[in-house]
Amino acid sequence: MRLKVAAIRFCAVRSIATICALCFATAAVGQAQLSHFPDPIFHDGYNGLDSPGTANVSAADAARFLTQATFGPTDADIAHLRSVGYQGWLTEQFAATPTYEITDRPGKTNSAYLNWVANVLHEDVGQNNRQEAWFQGALGGPDPQFPSNSAYTHTDQLRQRVAFALSEIFVISQENPTLDGYARGMAWYYDQLIKDAFGNYRQLLQDVTLSPAMGEYLNMVGNRRADLTQNVHPDENYGREINQLFSVGLVMLNPDGTPQLDSGGKPIPTYGQATITNFAHVFTGWNWADCDKNYDYPNNAPPVFNGTYSDHFTDCFSPYEEPDAFLKPMIAFDVVNYPDTGDPSYHDNGTDPVNDAHNKQLLAYDATATTLAAVNGGVLPDGASAFSDGTAAGDLAFALDNIFNHPNVGPFIARQLIMRLVTSNPTPAYVARVAGIFNNDGTGTRGNLKAVVQAILLDPEARYGQFHNPESFGKLREPLLTLTHFWRAMGAQHRCGNNIVATGNSSASMYANQPYRYAGYGTTFVTGQSTSYGVGVDQASLDAPTVFNFFKPSFSPPGEVSARGLVAPEFQIATDSIVAGSNNTFANYALYGNYDINATCDANDDFGDVVVNYAQDKALAGSANGGASDPSNRLVDAYNIRFMSGQMSPYMRDQLVSYLNTIDSSWANGSQDWRLQRVYRALYLILTSPEYMVQK
Amino acid sequence: MAYDRRKFIKDTICAALGGASVYSAFGQMQLLQAAVRGNYRFAAGDYKALVCVFLYGGNDSFNMVVPYTQAAFNGFYGSGGVRPQLALNRAQMTGVTVLNAPSSGAGSPGDGNQYALNPVMGPQKISASGTGLGNLSADLASVFNAGHAAVVANTGTLVRPTTQAQYQSDSYDLPPQLFSHSDQSNYWQSSPPSNLPVTGWGGRLADMVAGVNAPGIPILLAVNGGDIYTRGQDVNAYDMGSDSATTVNFLGYNNAGNGSGLCDPAGAYDPGAVAAFCNLQAANAQANVLERAFANSMNHSIATAGIINGALSGAPAFNAHDQFPDALSTGGDLDTQLQTVAKLIWAANNNIPGYTGLSRQVFFVSTGGYDSHSDELASHGDTLPLLSRSLAGFYNALASVGLADKATAFTCSDFGRTMTSNDGGTDHGWGSHHFVVGGAVNGGKFYGNGCGFSGASAKFGLVMPSLANPNVDDSITGYSQNLNDSGDGYGRMIPTTSVEQYAATLARWFGVNDSDIATVFPSLGNFTTKYLGFV
Repeated sequence: MRLKVAAIRFCAVRSIATICALCFATAAVGQAQLSHFPDPIFHDGYNGLDSPGTANVSAADAARFLTQATFGPTDADIAHLRSVGYQGWLTEQFAATPTYEITDRPGKTNSAYLNWVANVLHEDVGQNNRQEAWFQGALGGPDPQFPSNSAYTHTDQLRQRVAFALSEIFVISQENPTLDGYARGMAWYYDQLIKDAFGNYRQLLQDVTLSPAMGEYLNMVGNRRADLTQNVHPDENYGREINQLFSVGLVMLNPDGTPQLDSGGKPIPTYGQATITNFAHVFTGWNWADCDKNYDYPNNAPPVFNGTYSDHFTDCFSPYEEPDAFLKPMIAFDVVNYPDTGDPSYHDNGTDPVNDAHNKQLLAYDATATTLAAVNGGVLPDGASAFSDGTAAGDLAFALDNIFNHPNVGPFIARQLIMRLVTSNPTPAYVARVAGIFNNDGTGTRGNLKAVVQAILLDPEARYGQFHNPESFGKLREPLLTLTHFWRAMGAQHRCGNNIVATGNSSASMYANQPYRYAGYGTTFVTGQSTSYGVGVDQASLDAPTVFNFFKPSFSPPGEVSARGLVAPEFQIATDSIVAGSNNTFANYALYGNYDINATCDANDDFGDVVVNYAQDKALAGSANGGASDPSNRLVDAYNIRFMSGQMSPYMRDQLVSYLNTIDSSWANGSQDWRLQRVYRALYLILTSPEYMVQK
Repeated sequence: MAYDRRKFIKDTICAALGGASVYSAFGQMQLLQAAVRGNYRFAAGDYKALVCVFLYGGNDSFNMVVPYTQAAFNGFYGSGGVRPQLALNRAQMTGVTVLNAPSSGAGSPGDGNQYALNPVMGPQKISASGTGLGNLSADLASVFNAGHAAVVANTGTLVRPTTQAQYQSDSYDLPPQLFSHSDQSNYWQSSPPSNLPVTGWGGRLADMVAGVNAPGIPILLAVNGGDIYTRGQDVNAYDMGSDSATTVNFLGYNNAGNGSGLCDPAGAYDPGAVAAFCNLQAANAQANVLERAFANSMNHSIATAGIINGALSGAPAFNAHDQFPDALSTGGDLDTQLQTVAKLIWAANNNIPGYTGLSRQVFFVSTGGYDSHSDELASHGDTLPLLSRSLAGFYNALASVGLADKATAFTCSDFGRTMTSNDGGTDHGWGSHHFVVGGAVNGGKFYGNGCGFSGASAKFGLVMPSLANPNVDDSITGYSQNLNDSGDGYGRMIPTTSVEQYAATLARWFGVNDSDIATVFPSLGNFTTKYLGFV
């Protein structure tokens, strides 16, 4: 069976190469045979990697780089990148002030968006507000609290883009009914991803593990040592998924990310059920921060919380008493706490002869002798030892080190980040290069995510892969990223709505309508779908249906993609329903121009909408009365750069120009400039086209 | 699947490429493969639908079908029993959810005990403002006791029959990645999961019989999200919303205000825009394989949405109190999905223009919330009432229009769960119980190879052998005499009936012949009993 498939692939690839040559050759012959490949005629050349000046980075290449590294290029960002070069841009981005959702800047109380909403605007913070905060970071630009203070302008596009990618690997979701009620806790989780996006993977692993939102999502919070009298055992959910999804994956990998096969040609499992069981036993004894008196007695100070202290492991339902427990790492219950001495009875450290797992064998793997000695071959000895002091925290550190040093982590994480930013089917060599940087950033450090991100974006395959594999390079754009791209490229702002400021008592029905605040109501962020217009794109931050994200890395749509042995994960959400629904959304936004920054506000609309500046491109759309004598070339070519990184095919360009040229001044709608009709239609036809939808 | 078929495809593709100048070799493949599907003919009026009801997360069916006989109930839930933390209220089952299966012999649970459904699955008063306010909802125990539903016990993923000793030996052939959600739900749906490219058995059955239907109308439908189950080699599912198909509205407007919804510039309000849009989406014209795949998705969506909505528009509402009354309950919209399936089955049997000529269809509906690591009694309180009302409502809806025997609905789930608990929840397990519902079902009975298993522990009753016998020292750690050892204790039940046996029984009812069934389910030959006889 295998051989047969291979034979089919070979046949097809060779044939396509032949066809491609044929098409290029005939491209000039006539309109009917215009090429569907990107054409260098419409793309101003490509150039070296580390090129600081305008002379070297073309606008098209700059746009293409920004498509991979941001939430969508804007004309201003393209120009800026051209002036500083790739490396200069990366250096700026690594240094940019992070935009957090709920973590204030040092010394600036309530400077984070959700704290401002809660404590200054006195609104109840819900999931809509969390999505507003997310859009703040994703879209960038002025801060609604300090709209004229450039020190608060959000420019950390790369960090936000990487954090979003991480959120699709380390998944939690508001679809979880408990998390849905704690938007602030989810925001705090997302802030850990933002914080660690350019940090070390080991720190990220720990922050994710101890975040209460993850603890709630995958059941590590309150996970306890076995109790055989009750036939109770530790929960395996987190122990399983941290291995399967966050770090090493199910099968042993080669350094280039391809699976290791046994003599029978089958993938070699990374671990067995016993390993997962042992991890589950290690991940015990952690609970909400305020389940323990340490929360209120950090300095042996008197209590500040006027509530009931549970200080009881199994009956602690912390967030209902003190929601801020979601904003602190979970705590180990066995640490000495004032005025008590801590309770070690909920953590399995191997010392209970009846209930515990013993000398727990965690991941076993080949590594350097030094590494293997450091992790004791993956065996966590019972009680206190040279490898752990036998506390919940000590055992956890051992377990995370054990995972962190597994040779799978580099290729596993490298491949997934490449897939999120650049292309669905990286070559093994590309994965190997990035994994190598993960393993050692050049200074001997393992897990340096900043170096990994830089390696991904500056790799020759990221920059030139579209020329090497033009028929398969790239990835389907995620619907949410098409929306952010559209908004960023078209100067989106929030507008209209009534500025209703709550005083004192907070009320969810109030909405303070400040400039640059992205209202999370109405059509804007609705992620569901129906048959009506403009109901969203069926995707939002931290809103995946399961821990397996919106799509699985292994997903391959039926037909040609599968037959070629390729994957295309984003197609899992390119269903019949969603492609139609997203198309309708862009009909609403683009084709019908329904969200225009120049439109009159509806006095009865309390919340307003995100609107775009169609008129900014009027001058590109025509300079006289339209028709063929006032052609649409300039608009199409500008959009080709801004939206398609100069990769529009001659065929598509011809289709657009020919059609848009039929629009002339007779299309004016009342006082509305006829040229807007060209802008609307160009946007809709581009944003819904297969050529645009595949980021190449 | 046979050798010569693949050879045929390969040769034909290579030959075809010599001719027309297309970018896509594989865009042609679906057409080529259409020539090699099974050669079936069914009599007029012989319509059958398979309806897979997938419960994502791994349903704890051991708290869904539970011992009712007092002694067995005590052993299961009482102090010192199997799962005291998940105890149900026996009194609430009495006269409501008790299953009246034969007490011994064929169709009995096999262990001499009587079983009942979790009491949350009993009928409830319709409390919302919908149809039938104050009446009782549909419930699954009633449908079971009326003979239209069956329980297939301790079913799960197996390559071949497996004993505890075989499981514990390192060399036995087991499904890959047991206890992993994604892998086990894939296995349930594809059986086995290793075929390339990955297809589901719903898709492969549809491939076999696709020739009997009128072209253009989907034979495979995923309601509220598809999965591997609905992927065939030739046939591609239409993936619709819970209550309707999403149309591309841009194509739905013409000068009269009601366009065809298709790529049809003639008469369109803006024919140039429609032409440009459709030219950019033209099938197989794009240079990049991912672009072609996206265009395929869009074209499939455009071509099918109107057909489905047309079929739905004339169907009965099926909103009686014992069917699908409005504003049903929490836990998702499985009820709406099955209501939609009932409407489409009605349409296929009532000569709806544009929706005629259908003999066979495969549906996939799904719901989540079953991964009950914590607070299982509460989460089952949301999910199981919806499951009970939806399956029973589906039967009642079709029965009300005389079509009950045309459709067989059956449950699937990632895996069962551990017999032990983890403080109010349960962990990923293996075998589990499933329901089969429909007028053709030989119901009111229990099925499965495990029924009457001779070595069953008194505590475990119906649910058969644990992976690690709780009464014997575990050989792996040498420590525990309990359910908490690291060597796969915890009461993960080795399935005694395989997914293949379950599926093959359904496939035979569907009208697929033995040899094609053997092709669709390559592992079926490893099991002596191939068909379980529940339908």
